[in-house]
Parts: sequence; C-alpha cells; structure tokens
Amino acid sequence: MLSLASGSVFDSADLVAVAASSFDQTSGGAPETPVVCVGDTIATDGQEGFLRGHGTQIVDGELVATVSGAVERINKLVSVRTLKSRYTAELGDVLVGRVREISGKRWKVDINGRQEAVLQLSAVNLPGGIQRRRTAEDELNMRSVFQEGDLISTEVQSFFADGSVALHTRSTKYGKLKGGQLVTVACSLIRRQKQHFIPLESLGVDVILGCNGLVWVTPHVAGAPAAAADQTSEPDTDVEPSVSAKQRAAVCRTANALRALGALGISITPATIEDTCKASIDAGVQLHAMLEGPFLEVIISQETQRRQRQ
Amino acid sequence: MARRDTSVPYQPQSRPEAVVSDTGERLDGRGLEEFRSAFLSPHALSQAAGSAYAECGKTKVMVGVYGPRQSARATAFSEQGRVQCDVKLASFATRQRRRFGQSTDERELSGLLATALEAAVLRHTFPKSCIDIYCLVLESGGSELTVAITAAAMAIADAGIAMADVVTACSVSRVAGQLLLDPTADEAFREDGSVLLAMMPAANLVTQLVVTGEWSSAQMKQALCLCMGGCLQLDAVTRKALASSEEQALAAMRIE
Repeated sequence: MLSLASGSVFDSADLVAVAASSFDQTSGGAPETPVVCVGDTIATDGQEGFLRGHGTQIVDGELVATVSGAVERINKLVSVRTLKSRYTAELGDVLVGRVREISGKRWKVDINGRQEAVLQLSAVNLPGGIQRRRTAEDELNMRSVFQEGDLISTEVQSFFADGSVALHTRSTKYGKLKGGQLVTVACSLIRRQKQHFIPLESLGVDVILGCNGLVWVTPHVAGAPAAAADQTSEPDTDVEPSVSAKQRAAVCRTANALRALGALGISITPATIEDTCKASIDAGVQLHAMLEGPFLEVIISQETQRRQRQ
Repeated sequence: MARRDTSVPYQPQSRPEAVVSDTGERLDGRGLEEFRSAFLSPHALSQAAGSAYAECGKTKVMVGVYGPRQSARATAFSEQGRVQCDVKLASFATRQRRRFGQSTDERELSGLLATALEAAVLRHTFPKSCIDIYCLVLESGGSELTVAITAAAMAIADAGIAMADVVTACSVSRVAGQLLLDPTADEAFREDGSVLLAMMPAANLVTQLVVTGEWSSAQMKQALCLCMGGCLQLDAVTRKALASSEEQALAAMRIE
C-alpha cells in the first residue's frame, strides 16, 4: 500500500515519487519516452538528418541535451522537454499575471517567466469601451485601469526582438481579477487546450487556467463565460459582490483540489479538477483535510483507476 | 550586558599532527586515493525553482536556485544572462562559532563558485535576466567548495536551466609529499599545496582550476589525474539522481 503519513506531508518532494510509483505499477514499468540528463548524447543513429529542437545543442556533430527531461521526436525535430523550467510564452496563451509597475505607456506584468512582460496602454480596452487614440490624459489615468499589485487575466499578443513578451487585454473576458482565489502550480501541469476560461457549473465555480501555472478560481457567474467583469461599461467600482458561505466553500474546495493535484504532479484539466472535487465530496473530506495524506492517497488511487480504464 | 563572546566555551584547536598513518591509511580509515562517501539529492527545497542537498563525509551543503528572473536592481542591458552566487557558511558550521555577516572567505567562495558555473550555464538563453544561487554550508568538514559546486550544478539542472553539461568538482591536498584525494578539514589544515578542479565530464571541459603551493609538473599531472577520476565518479552519481527525479515527475503527470 502507499506510504503516505496521516499528517500533513504537503511540503514533501517525495509526493511526486509516491504518485509516480503507483502509476508505474498500472502501466507496467518505464515510460515510453527515454529520459536524458544534462550533457547526455541523444541517439540519432536511426535517423537520416535531424533538426535541433529546444533543450539541445550540437557539439561535434552530435546532439547533446542541455536540460534533463524527456526526449521528444516529431519527424526530424528532436527536442528535450523539461518539466520544471520557468514558463516560456507562446503566442495566444491565456495567462494570469500580476502588475508589478507602471512605466511610461506600459504596465510591467509578472507572468512567472524569465522576464517581466509588457502590457502596452494601447493594448487594453479603455474604461467605457470607447475606441480612440490614447492621449496623454489616458497615460496619467493608467492607475484607474490597473494598479500595482493587481491580478489580471491576459493573452500573449506578440514578442519583441529580444524575446520579451507583449500582452493584451482587448477582450471583455480579460482584465482585472477580484473576488476569487489564486493557486500557483508548475506550468508544465497545464496543457494548452481549447478553453482556458472554464465554467465548472457542477461545482459552482469558474476557473481560469493560466498557461503560466497561475490558476484563478471564482464563484460561478451564470451567463458570463468567466470572471473579468471589470471591462464593461461602468468604471471600476470597489463594491464586492456578496458571496455566500456555500460559494466560498466551493471556491476553497476547488482551490485545494488544484493544490493537491499540483503537489502530486498530476496534469490539471477540467476533468481532473472535477473528479478530485467530487471524490472529496463523496468521501466527506473537510476542506482543510484535502491537503493531507489520506485524501492524497484517494486522489492517487482515483488517477490510477482512470489510467487503467484508458 | 555581557559581551557575546564570553559564553563560548574554550576549545583547544588541536589538529592532529600526522594525517596519514605508516600503513598509508588516513584518519577516517580511507586510502590515499579514496573518496569520502557522497550523497546527492535534487529537489530538496519546495519553494526554490531548483535545489539540491549534498553530503560528502561531514561536509553538508544545501543549494537553492531561483530564476531566471528579472534582476532586482537595474543593470545595463546584456545579451548574456547573469549568474549570481552567494555562499554562506552557517554560524554553526565550523568548530568555532562564526561571526554575523559575510566574511572574506565566503566572498571568495562565492566568486570561485560563480566562475565554475558560468562556463557551464548557457547564459545566452536568458538575456537581460539573472539566476540566483544561494548555497548554505550546514557543516564544514573540508572541501566545501567542491561539494558546493557539484550541488549547485545539480540544482541548476533541477531548475530546468539550460547547461552545456553538469559540473562536478574535486580537490586534492598535498601533505608531506603525499597526495590526498578529497581532503577533510584536518587534512587541509596540514597541506602545503592543493588543487581544485571543476569540470564537465561528458563534454570533457574544465570550468575552474585553483592551484595553491609549488608543484612539480610530474606531481601536478598526478594530482590532476586524481581530480578527474574523482569528478567522473561524482558525475555518475549526479546523472543517476537527476534522471530518476525527472523520470518520476514524468510518470506522475503523464496523461493519455
């Protein structure tokens, strides 16, 4: 049986190892993809010609890994995918980020990446939704849109020549986030999918899965796709909508489910979130007990079963 | 108020005179060319981007790597990312309790660590950013720098930062004409010359070489060969530990 202590073992790095060993038993041994370490030579003998992908470099005509991880081969392209690296932005990614500073005509946003991203004044919708040139006055009023410390949902618009990221929030679904809970997980656990704004009606919450590993959970709002109610016609009001104790509990349950999945290193998808929350409700687990050993064991065995079915 | 130093008990600093017995055995029972027992483990801290814990005999080192991230202080534009190292000896790491604040030997260790790692990290992959390496020596039992370099390289690999190869380091002390691999603090105290070699074994490149004392070229060659042998041994351990930690993470998150 699994060896998780009954106390809180949430910090332990061994959790991933426990989960992995459990899944290994189901799939019958080693993963199909070979794992390489930094500096290992990647075999390219069977291939006629290869293209150097991410996480590799060519030394004396041989392909050498520069990060440790799984080797991925797509046609001629050979790359090494690591699970622990910082977030690398791709065009069109939905992100959750925090405004760090205002400088000139732009906000600097911390997106958990190598550098802070830039959100230009011209890349946001003005309060009131009017379309016009940005004036010097708009520049002075930038703090009425986003302040330092605000959490925002946004999308990657483009890249600058030096690789830094330009964001935009030119859609009603993007904008300032409030009245919810933020959970941070490893960005490799969140795959790019069709929808990142996910209404989970069965749980009564809306979730924004930021590709950079930041996940935002709010009480479910009927009709609206999810969150970001701020970009509408009325200017920013600081009146918080009333949230019932039941809704708060639902948000906490979902957030704790995300934390538990993150600690175990299990991919986060709408299905895994829902399954984990349902399991906790079925087992009658208290909110605070969701991060403790016994329930983590439940998640592991549930995930094991799910993989066996597939 | 009493002076802070008054409560420290008197400890005579008696270091053993002879560190090698007539039969060629060292104080801890090792042979001259024998390594101390080593333990290396990645992912020791949950909050850091990458981390490692390393033990070599009595020397215990913990390393945390943060970044790549925008550097806190504004600096000039650079195409190459920066590697900032900070080595700290815990106040209880040595026999004599250490003073508060960074000492000169810590500053020197930080500099040497940075040089050893800079050559291995592919700094062009994170322009304008920096990585911070914080290295804490929990117990100082000799050859701290070699353990710190090995652990730091493992922590960088754990953080998923691109490197040419993992770096391992090894040192040799010369005591009364004899070469001792991987010296303890007592042995290093009696040395009249030392060699520290940090290298990337798979790429077969040296990143750092620190030599003190006078050496004949024949003995230097012998010392370097010893060091390289030690580095290769450590390299095997490092690779195994990194690959197994990566394999576990992959198996946990795999989704069909």
